[in-house]
Amino acid sequence: MSPFDRRLFTHLNWSLLLVALTLFGLGVINLYSASSLRGETGMTTVSFYQKQMIWGLIGLGGLILCSSFDYRHLRSLAWPLYWVSLVLLFIVFLTGESIYGAARWIDFGFFHFQPTELTKLSCLLLCALFLTRTPGLLTWTTLSKYLGIIALPVALIISQPDLGSGLNILLLVGGMMFYHGIQTRVFGTLALILPALMPLCWFGLHDYQKERVLTFLHPENDPLGAGYNILQSQIAIGSGQTWGKGFLEGTQSQLRFLPEKHTDFVMAVFGEEWGFVGSSLLLILFCFFLYQIMLIIQDSKDRFGHYLSVGVFFYFFWQIAINMGMVLGLMPVVGIPLPFLSYGGTSNVINFCFLGLALNVSMRRFVFKKG
Amino acid sequence: MFRSDQVNTLPLHRVVILQIAIIILFATIFLRLWYFQIYKGDVYARKAEANITRIQSLHAPRGLIRDRNGNILADNRPAYGLALIRENSAHIPTTLAQISSWTGISEDLLYSRLKKGKGKVQPFNPLLLVPNLTFKQLAYIEARIHNWPDLSIITRPLRTYPYGPPFSHVLGYVAQANEEELQANPRLALGDMIGKQGVEKSFEEILHGQKGRKHLQVNAQGRTLRSQVIARPEPGTNLDLSIDCSLQQLVWDSLEQHAGAVVVMEPITGQILALVSKPGYDNNLFVQGLSSRDWKKLLHDPSHPLQNRVIQSTYPPGSVFKLAVAGCALARSDITTSTSFYCPGYYRLGTGVFRCWRRQGHGKLAMSDAIARSCDVYFYNLGEQLGITRLSKFCRQVGFGRLTGIRLPNESSGLIPDKEWKLQHVGKAWQGGESVITAIGQGYTTSTPLQIARFISALVNGGHLLQPQLQNDDHPNIQGRLPLRDKDRQFLRQAMIQSVADRHGTARSLQLPQVTIGAKTGTAQVVRLTEKHEDKDTEEIPYKYRDHAWMAGFAQQGDRIYVTVVLVEHGGSGSSAAGPIVKDIFTHLFEE
Repeated sequence: MSPFDRRLFTHLNWSLLLVALTLFGLGVINLYSASSLRGETGMTTVSFYQKQMIWGLIGLGGLILCSSFDYRHLRSLAWPLYWVSLVLLFIVFLTGESIYGAARWIDFGFFHFQPTELTKLSCLLLCALFLTRTPGLLTWTTLSKYLGIIALPVALIISQPDLGSGLNILLLVGGMMFYHGIQTRVFGTLALILPALMPLCWFGLHDYQKERVLTFLHPENDPLGAGYNILQSQIAIGSGQTWGKGFLEGTQSQLRFLPEKHTDFVMAVFGEEWGFVGSSLLLILFCFFLYQIMLIIQDSKDRFGHYLSVGVFFYFFWQIAINMGMVLGLMPVVGIPLPFLSYGGTSNVINFCFLGLALNVSMRRFVFKKG
Repeated sequence: MFRSDQVNTLPLHRVVILQIAIIILFATIFLRLWYFQIYKGDVYARKAEANITRIQSLHAPRGLIRDRNGNILADNRPAYGLALIRENSAHIPTTLAQISSWTGISEDLLYSRLKKGKGKVQPFNPLLLVPNLTFKQLAYIEARIHNWPDLSIITRPLRTYPYGPPFSHVLGYVAQANEEELQANPRLALGDMIGKQGVEKSFEEILHGQKGRKHLQVNAQGRTLRSQVIARPEPGTNLDLSIDCSLQQLVWDSLEQHAGAVVVMEPITGQILALVSKPGYDNNLFVQGLSSRDWKKLLHDPSHPLQNRVIQSTYPPGSVFKLAVAGCALARSDITTSTSFYCPGYYRLGTGVFRCWRRQGHGKLAMSDAIARSCDVYFYNLGEQLGITRLSKFCRQVGFGRLTGIRLPNESSGLIPDKEWKLQHVGKAWQGGESVITAIGQGYTTSTPLQIARFISALVNGGHLLQPQLQNDDHPNIQGRLPLRDKDRQFLRQAMIQSVADRHGTARSLQLPQVTIGAKTGTAQVVRLTEKHEDKDTEEIPYKYRDHAWMAGFAQQGDRIYVTVVLVEHGGSGSSAAGPIVKDIFTHLFEE
């Protein structure tokens, strides 16, 4: 195989790349509105949309990097990466810088690094590898091994506390697990035991997390306190009505009724300014995005590539589902951003890297056709 | 190169799970969006509208305060302030830095003002950071403020007192309502100015006016789209005082560097023409907000500039009180105007010796001479004969020891002692000697200058005890009558005239052509003088041990009649310290 093959380009899923870039572009435009900072000259604060573009460029670098080599090399990298992320998580656990009361960052001087994001990648790789090597449905033994892989990193992440990311990984590998299939007997037992364990989890939650769950159930109890985000984001979206209030005209977002509007609640800004029509278009784009990943899954020619893209699929699927569900009041507030639309440094770079992995799988499916 | 997996081992049939997941997810989100944006869209649109509607108070200008000739004593001028609406701010530190560069106010100070106001100002309401912009700053900022949606220029009427300290005690001042006041009056909002002292406080009800309300709708940039006045502000009512501005200033100047109190009153109407307490303070400082350091400085100033000496300070009335004692004696059948006593310069009661101010004595005198020359021994005799019970009863009837009812805050009632009072407050029985010194206005007896003015007024207005009035259009409010026969009252009035006209009279310096003037001097002992100090001139005695100088008098020309009471703190003798001031006042009043 030559180091460069024209077929790499012809097999690349251009639609997926384009729809992702479109989403990212919409995100930047939306961030311009969500973080527009008006002031006299001499103000040095860089707005979020400008920073987001820089992160986008870095992300594109990550995307090219993640799609430039044959993804099958990752099989041998899965374990080393896993150990590196575990070590980093431990470092954070011991020394990490605290932001908003949660220790999630390692300060490298020039930027803050979130080992959580690397952990997502390494868990995905390792679980894909594991399922690749597991021929039949998951038995008690294989299921225990599978869950054992992610138990420690997830526990460390949740203890930071970053419930959102921990949940993200759990759902990602959980999705892959169900996709792969579980023995009926095992599945049946789990279906009985897991709901019974739910109340136990309640006691493991931090107070603010419990509060979020309670607020989700009764937001009107505390309209100016914890329920504020939910109510105001619903007012923002609802008041967009059919056509929206127009770019930069969203009173809810421009007048700072929306907290965290540039990160977790970007959808509220978008819904207010672009209305039902705009939001539906955005939904269609996301739907098309996931559909394209599904096509890659279908077209993949080896088990590792297959599970890798399944992982990527669930990675994005759950983020969209949880973020939208939270903003639309369908589930408690969990700090999970909307892919490509929310502002974020490492999270955006990792999004592009995951996208790169899916593209990598799609680019190299010819290897098997001819081989 | 890789151990390739078998294509046919791929679980492709499971892709359908993904398809179902996509359909469920997007159908749910789509339905939820439809529910919020279409089905409930107008409900949320109304809620968003309520979010951008703000209620703004419209300040009602406070009523003006004018003197009897229409001169404005308390005015409103527009003040421009710079306020921050925190919720509109993209980055508060940047905004504060900009304000600092515009106004030169340090960022630290701005931060501390922001911190102070944070809990008190409602969200989306302006928080005043710079209360007074100069016109230059205003013009500069006005041209640039469009770049700062979080800043707004606030115009509000600000009280000014153009004449300053001479009027500080009459007018008082307005300042921001404190927490207690806010709770007591639900109509007040944080930052509202209310009267705290003087007539600003006592006439607060009519001066204050009523705030208006305005609804503002703002757009996404925080700029006002529509505004609607819901309630118009009702300005406060103007207050016309009986005070004569030029007389008030003359009195102030006439007191020179002395601390003291002066009141000028029309005895027929009870209207106050001048009410001066010196030293005063600049009441404008309170309006702009006094720093706690400046406040403490004023509060602990040993010369008590905040004290309204005319109504709040109580002094031993000294010889001025002899008029009341004489009245009390005349009300008794066995003492007449011709009752005379011999004055050897001292009076002996039991083992005690009480001196007359004239050490060589006055010889034998009748009552009118005793008043005119202010003979102490004559009144020691009266005091012993009358006794404290009769004396205190009479003095209360003529207005001592109780409030005059002037509409100014914190009036003191002074004190007329009697046996019960002493037993209760001092815990000892009344001594005969105490009745004797009460008769010359010393001992426990204290009164305010205003009480004396009211008493003198009653002597010259036909015996009516009037409420001192501050409003120009007030009608006389008769609170009582002197328990004196007309001829006895006339006698006392005549005795005062004699004090001025007589060549031995203590107030002879007051004489003015064409004007009938009567007066009584007084010297209020601050401490019992030691022998050492007694022979010295006033200038040689340390200031705080010097006597207070009193002069109370009236001047009449035809229908016009005025009463004046002057007290000069630590001024020495009444005639020398207070006399020239009384003369200045009467000269001014009858000048034209």
